[in-house]
Amino acid sequence: MLENVLNAVAAGLIIGCLYGLMCIGLGLIFGIMKVVNFAQGELLMLGMYVSLYLVGGFVALGILGPYIGPFVAALLAGPVLFVGGALLHRFLISHVSGLSIASRTETGGFGQLIVTLGISLILQNGGLIVFGSTPKSVLTPLSARAFILGPFPGGALLFLNQARVYSCAVAIVVAIVLWLVMERTRLGKSLRAAADNPVAATYMGIDVDRAYRIAFGLGAGITAIAGGLMATYLTFTPFVGLDYVIIMYSGVVLGGMGSILGAFWGGLTVGFVQQVSALVLPPQLQNAAIFVVFLLIVGLRPEGLFGRSAERA
Amino acid sequence: MLEVRDLSVSYGGLRALQGVSLAVGPGQFVTVVGPNGAGKTTLFKTICGVVPAAGGSVSWDGAPLLSRPASARAHLGIAHVPEGRQVFRTLTVRENLEMGAWPAAGRARWAQTLERIHTLFPILAERSSQLAGTLSGGEQQMLAIGRGLASAPRLLMLDEPSMGLAPAVAEAIFERIAQIHKEDGLAILLVEQRVAEALELSDRGYVLETGRMVLEGPYETLLADDRVRRSYLGLGEA
Repeated sequence: MLENVLNAVAAGLIIGCLYGLMCIGLGLIFGIMKVVNFAQGELLMLGMYVSLYLVGGFVALGILGPYIGPFVAALLAGPVLFVGGALLHRFLISHVSGLSIASRTETGGFGQLIVTLGISLILQNGGLIVFGSTPKSVLTPLSARAFILGPFPGGALLFLNQARVYSCAVAIVVAIVLWLVMERTRLGKSLRAAADNPVAATYMGIDVDRAYRIAFGLGAGITAIAGGLMATYLTFTPFVGLDYVIIMYSGVVLGGMGSILGAFWGGLTVGFVQQVSALVLPPQLQNAAIFVVFLLIVGLRPEGLFGRSAERA
Repeated sequence: MLEVRDLSVSYGGLRALQGVSLAVGPGQFVTVVGPNGAGKTTLFKTICGVVPAAGGSVSWDGAPLLSRPASARAHLGIAHVPEGRQVFRTLTVRENLEMGAWPAAGRARWAQTLERIHTLFPILAERSSQLAGTLSGGEQQMLAIGRGLASAPRLLMLDEPSMGLAPAVAEAIFERIAQIHKEDGLAILLVEQRVAEALELSDRGYVLETGRMVLEGPYETLLADDRVRRSYLGLGEA
């Protein structure tokens, strides 16, 4: 029993960090830029496939090997989807968000809903045509290896899947780098200023359309990196995004809208609850457990676990 | 420096401004006064490129301004302190000022301007790491002005800086504006409902009523005008 609890807690924390990174991507787009993006799950899916094909490319070229290759591929999926996300924003999403709807906020949200839902469906079914329906996974010997810790008192052993452990470490580093960029750099501050008050940001001389485009690209790229990392330990199809889009939204709302750190903690909480609930609940009810905890936290702390109260003032 | 000529603006068929002209020269203090709904804020928003003009022209240093994107103004040396302050509530006071210094000119002179802003408004130094949303109305107005100054502008446009402030606080804000004008030689274009205080500070004033300039001239001329005395200053015939 102790062994089960120990392993579930450890898996929860490790998977939680990956969910945290995934949530940061949506946190930028939904929490900060206030764009309702239903296609976020598909950006995760694209991250997985981009990573898969990059690893295929590395193998064909005979570079990087099966240990480093998948992680480099996951990180490279970031810039690829940054460009993809920025283009998506430039040609579709900018028409239903930001300055173009600043003067008609009461109707702007609906446009985002329909446009991003449409993008989501196109990417799912386009993915089916391009990638096929066979479940895929990024091959690395690490997926089948575990660090074994212990024995702990009572003879319990802790098994940590190596692919997950390394993915988790990379996710934490990426999350910290992004947080530093948003908090410390001029670019990051200008993105926050543009999200806070687009008209005032324009008066400061900030090109708000460009800021929104960059933020959307960053959000897409970060979620894609999370996807690439998760692809090292799970199998996926073009419809994998559906499983995760809800998790991302609950993580972002849990953490408190508008905060990068909050989105990470929110994602961590969701991953933790999901894994630990597996101890007592059948697998079909794991996502239900997430929502029970979600409703509890939203009921008790409507501003989210880590929401800044000034934003609500 | 700034020249507005024959400017007209319509909101869905309704004329908000009609044939409005005004000019601000280097180092001048110009005030536009008028009642609520006269079009003062519309005039500012049009100059700043947020509201499109239906006719007329705005030029800056002799070059047309209306065709430039709204975000170009700050880079050209025009700082806008908007109506209702519009500080970045979720950013700290310091970050707000840094965003004001977004244009290259502001970045180049950041150290000096920050010191100057802190001298003018010591409270902003004290509250440096506080979120702007937690400041009082008067402090937010000081921050909005400081943020405008941070771009090291040649023209500071102020839209109703006294709005919603207690009289004593508004008085202090006006004193600072006068000080900025005098000591920094900065050109100022002010829109105000508090006519007496505003005109007192300025070299030249304009009176805007229902979208038209009905009167213009130096401070003394306006104060001597019966209409201004009666409608805005609450005084009898001269």
